[in-house]
Amino acid sequence: MKAHDVVIHEADATRIDAVLQRFLGDSSSAAALLIDRSGQPLAETGTARTLDIGSIGALAAAAFSSTAALAQLLGESEFSVLFHEGVRESMHVSTVDEQTILLAIFDERTTIGMVRLFAREASRAIGVILEETRKRPKRVGALAAPLTADEARRASDHRPA
Amino acid sequence: MSIINYAAKVINFKVVYYGPGLAGKTANLQYIHRCLPETSKGKMVSLATGDDRTLFFDFLPVSALGVRGFTTRFQLYTVPGQTHYNMTRKLVLRGVDGVVFVADSQWARLRENVESLRNLDENLKEYGLALAAMPYVVQYNKRDLGPVAPLDYLEYLLNRGARRVPSFEAVAVDGTGVFDTLNTVSRMILVKEFGQAQEAHS
Ligand SMILES: Nc1nc2c(ncn2[C@@H]2O[C@H](COP(=O)(O)OP(=O)(O)O)[C@@H](O)[C@H]2O)c(=O)[nH]1
Ligand SMILES: [Mg+2]
Repeated sequence: MKAHDVVIHEADATRIDAVLQRFLGDSSSAAALLIDRSGQPLAETGTARTLDIGSIGALAAAAFSSTAALAQLLGESEFSVLFHEGVRESMHVSTVDEQTILLAIFDERTTIGMVRLFAREASRAIGVILEETRKRPKRVGALAAPLTADEARRASDHRPA
Repeated sequence: MSIINYAAKVINFKVVYYGPGLAGKTANLQYIHRCLPETSKGKMVSLATGDDRTLFFDFLPVSALGVRGFTTRFQLYTVPGQTHYNMTRKLVLRGVDGVVFVADSQWARLRENVESLRNLDENLKEYGLALAAMPYVVQYNKRDLGPVAPLDYLEYLLNRGARRVPSFEAVAVDGTGVFDTLNTVSRMILVKEFGQAQEAHS
């Protein structure tokens, strides 16, 4: 199980965003988040109110990976969907590919069936895009040249207030 | 496994604080969270049991200054140290870019340190990773308690040979050594990712 680097160039981000927008429209979900299974958010759409994307990414990836581990213990290859029903809003998390999951937040304006259907479609489309991004050069443009000692120092200088 | 997003202009790194139970991993993150200015940190999330033992992980995103217009975000995680939580530890290591090994300096805890380090090696191997090839630092914590093992001996046990790395004495609860540890591993991660230009010497 070797991890691969992830790089999202601007053109890829635009394409992913278009897929997520379409997903929101088709499924009537409120928000969609694309999350790397290591817990890091890759893209988000539709978050009308400000959500804490960082925490959501970390927790959703953890919840999803622990259900996957549970599945293994039970002899399933993977539970491919995680669903939590809330009072006002619900959450649907599904597999995009080996490395990535899609989280949708929705309310009573739609149904779990609709969300699941369109999440499957969106995941396929995003999977294709991500497959391409993995072949792209990782460091281009401003990031092509190595850091100077000063740049490395400043970007790693965490300081108490 | 860093993530570079050219559209959002964000670079994400994942740092995992590893080590035996009660060594002070959570205390490191708590101190960092307490001291960083609001603008440099996100919310700290702790999945803990009722008695404050880490059940799954602690999570805290932090960032210093960016690089060339990009925000560089370090996602700090801790693992649960107790032996029987290995499944969870493995999950937290997924996609790790750098490791801080937090050792408990007390004599009575030396064996747990050695076992935890061995366990870290094994778990990394499952992801095709090796400590020797990744940004990695060691922190000898709880230096304020007695009786603690001398530094030389801890180095001999936990940090020698081909993969001798930077190490720090710490008292995580009062912050001693906490930022030195974090900044050093952060810098190693940046240099591994981007390389470092040769400076002209005069
Ligand atoms: N005296 C002292 N206590 C510490 C130090 N670091 C952590 N502790 C305490 O040791 C206990 C376990 O620490 P914790 O961070 O939860 O350990 P973890 O299991 O590695 O996350 C807590 O009660 C901490 O307050 C230290 O450097 N000195
Ligand atoms: Mg802990």
